[in-house]
Amino acid sequence: MTQKAITKVAPHGLKVTQAADIKQQTIHLEADAVIVGSGAGGAIAAYELAAKGKKVVVLEAGPYVPSEKFSEMMAIAMGTLYQDHGGQANSEGDISILQGACVGGSTVVNAALCFRTPDYYLNLWAKEFGLTNLAPAAMAPYFDKVEANLKIRQNARHETSHGAELINAGLEKLGIPPGIAKRNIKNCGLTGFCFAGCVTDRKQSMLVTYLPWAVAKGATIYADTRVTKVLATDGRARGVEAEVIDPASGRRKATLHVDAPIVVLAAGPVQTPLLLQKSDLANSSGQVGKNFACHPTMSLSAEFDKDVDDFHGATHSLYVDKHTLPEEGGYLLLNAVQDPVEASFQVEPGTGKPYVSYMSRYRNTIRLITLIHDKNVGEVSWKDGAKHIRYAVDDADFEAMKAGLKTNARVLFAAGAKRVHVPTSQRLVIESAGEIDRVIDGLRNEPSRYRYTSFHPQGTCRMGADPARSVVNPKGETHDVRSLYIIDASLLPTSIGYNPSETVYALASYISDQINAAHA
Amino acid sequence: MSELTRATLDALAQIQSLGRRDFLRFGAVAASLAAVSATGVLAPATARAALPPGIKVMTEGELAVFQRLLAVMLPTEGSALVPPAQVPVMQTLDAALLATMPPHILQGLKGGIAYFNDGPMARYGKRFAELSDADASRFCDEWSNAPEAPRRALAMGLKKLVGLAYWANPPTWAPLGYDGPVSRKWGLQSLGNAPMPQ
Repeated sequence: MTQKAITKVAPHGLKVTQAADIKQQTIHLEADAVIVGSGAGGAIAAYELAAKGKKVVVLEAGPYVPSEKFSEMMAIAMGTLYQDHGGQANSEGDISILQGACVGGSTVVNAALCFRTPDYYLNLWAKEFGLTNLAPAAMAPYFDKVEANLKIRQNARHETSHGAELINAGLEKLGIPPGIAKRNIKNCGLTGFCFAGCVTDRKQSMLVTYLPWAVAKGATIYADTRVTKVLATDGRARGVEAEVIDPASGRRKATLHVDAPIVVLAAGPVQTPLLLQKSDLANSSGQVGKNFACHPTMSLSAEFDKDVDDFHGATHSLYVDKHTLPEEGGYLLLNAVQDPVEASFQVEPGTGKPYVSYMSRYRNTIRLITLIHDKNVGEVSWKDGAKHIRYAVDDADFEAMKAGLKTNARVLFAAGAKRVHVPTSQRLVIESAGEIDRVIDGLRNEPSRYRYTSFHPQGTCRMGADPARSVVNPKGETHDVRSLYIIDASLLPTSIGYNPSETVYALASYISDQINAAHA
Repeated sequence: MSELTRATLDALAQIQSLGRRDFLRFGAVAASLAAVSATGVLAPATARAALPPGIKVMTEGELAVFQRLLAVMLPTEGSALVPPAQVPVMQTLDAALLATMPPHILQGLKGGIAYFNDGPMARYGKRFAELSDADASRFCDEWSNAPEAPRRALAMGLKKLVGLAYWANPPTWAPLGYDGPVSRKWGLQSLGNAPMPQ
C-alpha cells in the first residue's frame, strides 16, 4: 500500500477527522497499520511508520481540542482533556489516577518533565526479564533522538518558580544536591499551566510535534473514535473494530472497521489491557492487566510567614533523586506550583475557621511532592461491565513514602517553613523540624486516610522474553498474536521511580524501528 | 466493613479522585449559570418549588446537608474571603458535578449523603443538617479521623465537593492574591507546530 505524497507540516493545528465530520453510518478503511491511541506511543509510532511509507490510521477515543481553545480558565477544555473527566481512581477511591484522554494523550496535560530510564532499570530488565536488547548502550541513540526531536533540555536559570527558589535554599542548607528539571518545552512562557495544556504551544507535546509530522507524511487521525475490538485470525492481527461517538450526546454516530496487517495498541496502561481482555487476545500468560503500578504521590504543604505566590513559573523546576533507587530509599522529591483550588483540598487544617485561616494564607504556601517507586501489585480488569483498578499501596512501599515525607519535611523547614501540613484525612501539622520523626513515624498504611495522586500508571502488559511471565516480547510484539504491538507505559516490567514519559518516547522509537524492520 | 453500599463507595471513589482539572470545569458551569440566570433563561425548578433556581439534581434534604456543610466549612466573617452567599456554590455543585455523574455513581453518592446526615444521631441526637455550627464542625472533624475508612472517605469527599464548588468560581480567587489565566494578559504568542526533524 503506498503512502500519500509528503507534504509540509502545517504551521498550526492538526488535520483530524472528528465525529462532527462523519456523515455515513459505517466506515471501512484499509491501511498498513492502525494505531490505537494518539499519545506518546501512538504519535511516535504513527510518524515513524508513515515516514517509511506505510499508510497509517490513528484512532483516538478522546476529542481533538486545538491549543487555541485552552483558555487557562480551562473550564470548558478541562472536561474534555482527562480520562473520565479527571475522575479515574483506584477501586478504594483513595488514589486519583490521572491520564490525558484527548488527541495527543497525556503529553498534552503533563508537566513535560523528562528523565532517561536509569541504567539501573535497563540492566535489571535485562537480567530479570531477558530484555538485553534494551541495554543502556542500545537505548542511548533512542534517548538522543527523542531529546532532539522534542527539545528536551535542562531548565534555564530563569525557568523556576518562587517556591522552587525557597526549596533550593533549603536543599543547599541541608547539603542535598538538587536536580534541575529537564523538560520538553521550547521558550517556556512560565505560566504554570502545563496541566491544562499549553495555550501557546511551547510544550512540545505530541499535538505540535509527532502528530503533525505524521499527518505531513500522510497519516490520518480520527478523534472521538473508541476501538471496541482487536481482530485477529490464526494468531495474526488483521485490524480493529471501533465506534465513533458524538461527544455532545454520547451516542454512537458510526461504526468503523479498519483492515490492517499491523495493529499497534497505544491506549495507555489502563485502556490497553482492557481492550485486550475484551478482545480475548494475547493473554495466554494470564498477565494482561496484572502488575499495575502507579507511582503514588503525596504532597506536603508548607506555610511561610511571607507571601510566596507559588502559582506561576515553571510547573516543575527541581527534584531530589538522591534516594530514588529502591536500595537508596525508593522515593523522589519534586516541586510543583499549585493553584488555589488544588491547594484547597490538599490538606485538612480543621473544619471552619482553621480552614478559612489556612486558605487566606494561600499565598504563603508551597508544596513539595513525594513520589515513590512502587511494587507492581495492582490489576486492571473488567467488573460488572466497568473498568476496575484494584490497587492499594503496599506496606513496604508505604515505609518508603514515610522516609520520603521525612526528607521532604526537613527540606521545607530548612527552606524557612513555619509549619508543614501532612495530607491526611484529619488535621495533622508538623510545627517544627524536631517533630518530623514523631509525626511521620505515627502514620499507618490505611485506606482513605491519605490524599494520594498518581500521574504514572504503568506495567499492565509487561515486556519480557518469557511468554509465561510477560505479554509482549522484547521487540514490542505480543507473544501470542503476530503483528500486534503495544507501545505505551503498559510495557514497563517494573516501575521506575521517575516520570516515565521519556522512557515511553524512547521505547516507542525503538519498537517503531522493529516494526519497520519486520514489515519492510 | 460498613453500612455503606458498594454504589456509595464507588461514588466516594469518584469524588476523591476529582482534582485540579475539575475545578475548572466547575468554573465554566458556574460562569454559564451566572450568565443564564442573569438573563432569566434558566428554567426554575418548578417541579420542586422549594429548591432555588439552578438546582435540578439535589433533593431538598441533600441541599440542606450541603448548605450546612458549606456554612461550617467557610465561615468567612472577619476574613477577606468572598462570603459563600455571594457565590453560586450549590448551583455549581448541582450542575457541574452531580448532573454529570453516571446514574449509579449519583445514586451511590445520594446514599452517602443520607448516611452522613444520619451520622450524628447517636451522639448528638440530631441529623447533620440540624446541628449547630459548633456541633456540625465537631462532627466533621470526628469523622475525618474516624477509625472506619468509609466515614473518613465521606468526610473528606463531601467537604471536597463543597470546597471545589466554591473555589471553582473565579471571583473567589482575588482575596487570595491569585490572578488566574495569564498567557493572553502577558501577550504570549503561539509558537505553533514544530518543524519536521531532518
